[in-house]
Amino acid sequence: MAKKEVTKPITLDPRGGRPRDKCVTYIEGIDRILNGGIPIGNITLLAGTVGSGKTTLAMEFLINGAKAGETCCYISVTEPSSKMLSNLQTYGFFDDALVKEGKLNIFDLTVINDRLGVERLDGTYTAKDMEALLGAFEDIVDELGVTRLVIDSITAVCYQLPDKGSIRNFIFRLSQFLSTFGCTTMLISETVVDSNVQTYSIFGVEEAVADGVVLMGNIIRQGDLLRSLQVVKMRGTKHSRARHLIELTPIGLAVVPLLKWGQDGGQAFT
Amino acid sequence: MNVKDIATAIIKSINDGDTLTTVRIGADSFHSDTVKIASVLLSKKLGGIYITTSRPSSHIVDELEETKVDLSDLYFIDLVSMTVGGKTDDPRTLYVESPTMLESILLNISLLEMRLKAKKRFVLFDSVNGLSIYSEARVLKEFINVLGNSMRIKEIYSMLMTVKEQTGEELASALQLLSDKVIGE
Repeated sequence: MAKKEVTKPITLDPRGGRPRDKCVTYIEGIDRILNGGIPIGNITLLAGTVGSGKTTLAMEFLINGAKAGETCCYISVTEPSSKMLSNLQTYGFFDDALVKEGKLNIFDLTVINDRLGVERLDGTYTAKDMEALLGAFEDIVDELGVTRLVIDSITAVCYQLPDKGSIRNFIFRLSQFLSTFGCTTMLISETVVDSNVQTYSIFGVEEAVADGVVLMGNIIRQGDLLRSLQVVKMRGTKHSRARHLIELTPIGLAVVPLLKWGQDGGQAFT
Repeated sequence: MNVKDIATAIIKSINDGDTLTTVRIGADSFHSDTVKIASVLLSKKLGGIYITTSRPSSHIVDELEETKVDLSDLYFIDLVSMTVGGKTDDPRTLYVESPTMLESILLNISLLEMRLKAKKRFVLFDSVNGLSIYSEARVLKEFINVLGNSMRIKEIYSMLMTVKEQTGEELASALQLLSDKVIGE
């Protein structure tokens, strides 16, 4: 019997090639936007204004990973870890057992600094301090086998670095070893809106070094504030660049495409 | 067309395999007829999501309870109660903070859809005109288009309820273009 000829479907992905393995966020809508998730080992800058949902998104990313059996780590720079833990209790998707089982680890940067002896009175790290801090992060990731990491916020760390060159160097070195360990990382970047324009970072350096930039902000519609999310870049995957609405639901964050005509006071981005 | 004929036409439309219908009802009997239509569908063992933009869901629940129909597979998306400070504690209802947050409707449909038990499901949107109070025509048209198409993908039979006297030509033609059928003309 003659073999039936099978027509090979034409691929519509202009990139072609073989896709990278993905770190699935398990956040409703985000994996669809990212075409399956964040490429494993990528460093993503999660940039946004106050109240835009950065910490919630980052936390759900870690909690979902921990629930899937991964070891996840959150480094708190701006607030005590005890406060973060009590805030976590308010999320319906949080489970205490993840912390007890060591799947979700929460560290306080001030405690790490104290142990390393790098806390300076003038608030600026020396080159030696920077090395010590990078070493501490590497030890945490290596010894615990961390596959998902969040630093909240990288902006607060950058404020302690002396200049833009040091910031670039710090993030570049951080991304190098995290990528080697296959640790998918979110760096939270606090941004401000000036004359209706939102930047990706305060120092203007972080976005150039990061593999991905996800922008979160607020949109004004008839006086109401709506949270928005937009993936600006993500190396290693085809992704949507449309702006989406993000909302906290009883089962966690959910993302839907934003209506195109429904923004009368949106922020512009640079 | 009286409400009995409208309900019969809706059942036929479901059996014909339609997924999106615009239902036009006169202002004088709009609220009572819409509740009757929901009651008929529930009595036929359909499960559904009732989206209310013009009255608090608690009022609609009260009216539906009077019809003695089983409400165990009916859920609500309420765009009114939070705005006017009404009751917001019904476990079968998801409350949207403001009627301008149109995307929240789509998101909440996805959440409630997972809870529906019946195989045959419906979404009743009461009403398109209720939303036009808060949103510009172009926003509303875009929303209806997105809602209609996402319901088609989900294969949930959807009814866009409109008040005959309050629906302008432009909106009516947009609804007609989107819908499989217009019932109640």
